Amino acid sequence: MGKAPAALKRVMLGRPMSSGELGHTLLPKGIALPVFASDALSSMAYATQEILLVLALVGVSALSLVVPIALAVAALLAIVIVSYRQIVRAYPGGGGAYVVAYENLGFTAGLAVGAALLLDYILTVSVSITAGGDAIVSAVPSLAEHKVALTLGLIALVTFANLRGSKESGRIFAVPTYGFVVAIYILIVTGLVKCVGGCPQAESAGEHLEAESMLTAFILLKAFAAGTTALTGVEAIAEGVPVFRFPQSKNAAATLGILGVLSISMFIGVSWLTDQTNVVYTEEATRTVVAQVANAVFGGGPMFYVIQVLTALILILAANTAYTGFPVLASILAKDKMMPRQFRSRGDRLVFSNGIVILAVAASILVVVFDADLNKLIQLYLVGVFLSFTLAQAGTVMRWRRTREPGWQRSALINAFGGSVTGIVLVVVILTKFETGAWIIIVATPVVMYLMRAVYTHYTYVGDQLALPERKPLDRRPGNAHFVILVGRVDAAAARAVGYARSTRSVDVSALTFDAANHGSWRRLAPDIPLETLTVKTHDALLARLRERRASLPQNDFLTVITPEVLKGKGLLEIIRHPGLHRLKAKLVKESDIQVLDIPLVATDIDPAVDQAHEPARHHVVVFISAVHNAVLEAIEYAETLRPTDIRAVSFGLDPDETEQLGDRWLEARVPHPLEIEESPYRDLGESAVRYIKRFAPDGVNRVVTVVIPEFIVRKRRHQVLHGQTALIVKRRMLFESGVVVVSVPYHL
Amino acid sequence: MTFLNELVEKLGRPAQDVRAEHLHEWAASIPGTVRIQDAQRRCRCKIAGVIQNIRIDPREGSGSIEATIFDGTGLLIVKWLGRQKLSGIRLGAGLILEGTVGEGRAKHLQVLNPEYQLLPAPEHG
Repeated sequence: MGKAPAALKRVMLGRPMSSGELGHTLLPKGIALPVFASDALSSMAYATQEILLVLALVGVSALSLVVPIALAVAALLAIVIVSYRQIVRAYPGGGGAYVVAYENLGFTAGLAVGAALLLDYILTVSVSITAGGDAIVSAVPSLAEHKVALTLGLIALVTFANLRGSKESGRIFAVPTYGFVVAIYILIVTGLVKCVGGCPQAESAGEHLEAESMLTAFILLKAFAAGTTALTGVEAIAEGVPVFRFPQSKNAAATLGILGVLSISMFIGVSWLTDQTNVVYTEEATRTVVAQVANAVFGGGPMFYVIQVLTALILILAANTAYTGFPVLASILAKDKMMPRQFRSRGDRLVFSNGIVILAVAASILVVVFDADLNKLIQLYLVGVFLSFTLAQAGTVMRWRRTREPGWQRSALINAFGGSVTGIVLVVVILTKFETGAWIIIVATPVVMYLMRAVYTHYTYVGDQLALPERKPLDRRPGNAHFVILVGRVDAAAARAVGYARSTRSVDVSALTFDAANHGSWRRLAPDIPLETLTVKTHDALLARLRERRASLPQNDFLTVITPEVLKGKGLLEIIRHPGLHRLKAKLVKESDIQVLDIPLVATDIDPAVDQAHEPARHHVVVFISAVHNAVLEAIEYAETLRPTDIRAVSFGLDPDETEQLGDRWLEARVPHPLEIEESPYRDLGESAVRYIKRFAPDGVNRVVTVVIPEFIVRKRRHQVLHGQTALIVKRRMLFESGVVVVSVPYHL
Repeated sequence: MTFLNELVEKLGRPAQDVRAEHLHEWAASIPGTVRIQDAQRRCRCKIAGVIQNIRIDPREGSGSIEATIFDGTGLLIVKWLGRQKLSGIRLGAGLILEGTVGEGRAKHLQVLNPEYQLLPAPEHG
């Protein structure tokens, strides 16, 4: 990267952080509450309103039903909180619904919860930020026209903040969350006091409503289902147990209790005030219910604006919880082979950047498609929430039955009751919201599950293919090396190729060219290596020729095509300059069992005095590996046929625990070469690889380093995305390192 | 414009360089230690650095384990013979060791079987 782009990135995202800076700070209850509860508390900003919207269909007379419905929702909330306190006890390691379901109910339940939660996190971002936008629009009505742009802008802001990552986030959460709680309490208390002498009336009080429907049980259920948005976010504490201070389970359970008390009192309080101030809320309303209530109680004034600002802030923080949850869940799913492994890598700032970006893009798409309309978006929301509530509780019941800890019957009973209730609510939510949008989630969840299953199947297949015991290649005699040099021009790079091939002491080296005029100079350069001119001068003919050659050799021999290349400069443009050659190389690696060995030479590095088919005195082979499996053993075997001065395997350590395992596996595999695990503090493999290779000080003439890259070749092209581009990145960086030869050893899956 | 250039220069500085500087400061803050670039051959020195590379070699008799440490000024190989595992030797860990500096493979500075002490990763931030 150039200086200026690097500086720009630095300003936008901050200083790259080294892996050692990934510390775990444990949170006291007072900080943990705002961190994990902002999502749950923020739903107070729209839960009452959703109930009112449904009741409005029946007419003004039905609006006072908001209080009994809110009480029913509050009872449900209490049941779920009590039940989750048991889950926290059962899973001190963090009982994400996914973990609980997968562990106790099996693969399919795990898939279902994983898919539901991923979709749910996306919806949390769209719903919360849209609602935050509504709060801003309530305070500044002129922004109503630019609602979509405003919402997208807020998403972008939160995304950037998360890509930067922050250790201070705990304290950032505390102020708006506590501020919101205090402000809502002030609202409720002020409302209570003012109501002693007759309640103030909301601006919409007395508006006429056209009754569109009779008061039916279905409408009541629908209103109840709408109110259950108050429950969203309750599960966050159960997922976050490991970051609580000790005793973790006890503190987490206590925090859940506090959250329950706060949520229930705020929800009932706001719903009661809504009824007392006679708010009428329809889809056409520009001001949210909380804004109308606040305006009525405070009669406008500064407190009204304070409430709007705090509401917007807490909703943005709620979206932020999804930004923490989604990438972590994606990385756990990737670890369990259900999502592409790229979701496991941490970016410059130690956050799971890939997950963050995907989340932001998906949430933005939803906002655009639903026109930043909260009432439409929220219809999609609850299915995933209640599905994961239900499966998490059911899973925990199974766990209690298995472990039979003291007092397990009571806990199991609580969880079973909670799970049954949320299960019923799930059915209610699906029935009442199906037509208005829930069907989208009911279609999307199985689709996501199907995709995750496909990813899982692929990774499992690959894992089986690579599993070690299948063969012990180092027990057998390694095959012989055969070389074909592709000669474009007889130049300094071709001379290096000749020197390289000779240094391997291979008995079979030949050369191919399209241009008969090369023969004279070739005879002077390498009289011992036969050069043949192809009569059909197409890449296809060349490819066919090489495949035929490969087929004639024994299975365990290696055929290597050497492609010497003089590069004009060090820019990436050089790679694009010979598209034909690069396509040919890619085909050779992908479609045939042929190694392609690149000998690039940057024109400015040519020394005419020495570039005369000189055999290098020292030849180090470095095999880049990330695990110990068959593809790696094949690459090591190949390295041995090059007869270098020494061979070593090098792995760039990303996770200290994994690297320790790698060492053990290496010793088990009994490979007679050293393994080095090199630090990659900024997780930039290209950068680390270059730094590592530079230590050999290769000059390409006397000292050559061959970088061997084992490459998986997948059968289906779409599977390629599941394997990352690490090999490609490293190859591209190595191309311009003088004296470094890069060879891909294909391993066909 | 020089101000701007300086700013770009400063902000665009590779993280590696910044880290090297930081490690140098860290190593210098440990009393009695010598920087790797100043360590003389055959001196009995106390040296501090961060483990940057771990090498296990199954070939050498009962095996050996090597850690290459970096202190912002240079690289030093620390080698323990006759074993293939050492607890606590992890990438990024801080290592303070005392031993006689010699020459190892590829002419790198090397200390054999030193007394050592492990520290948590001396990272900033």
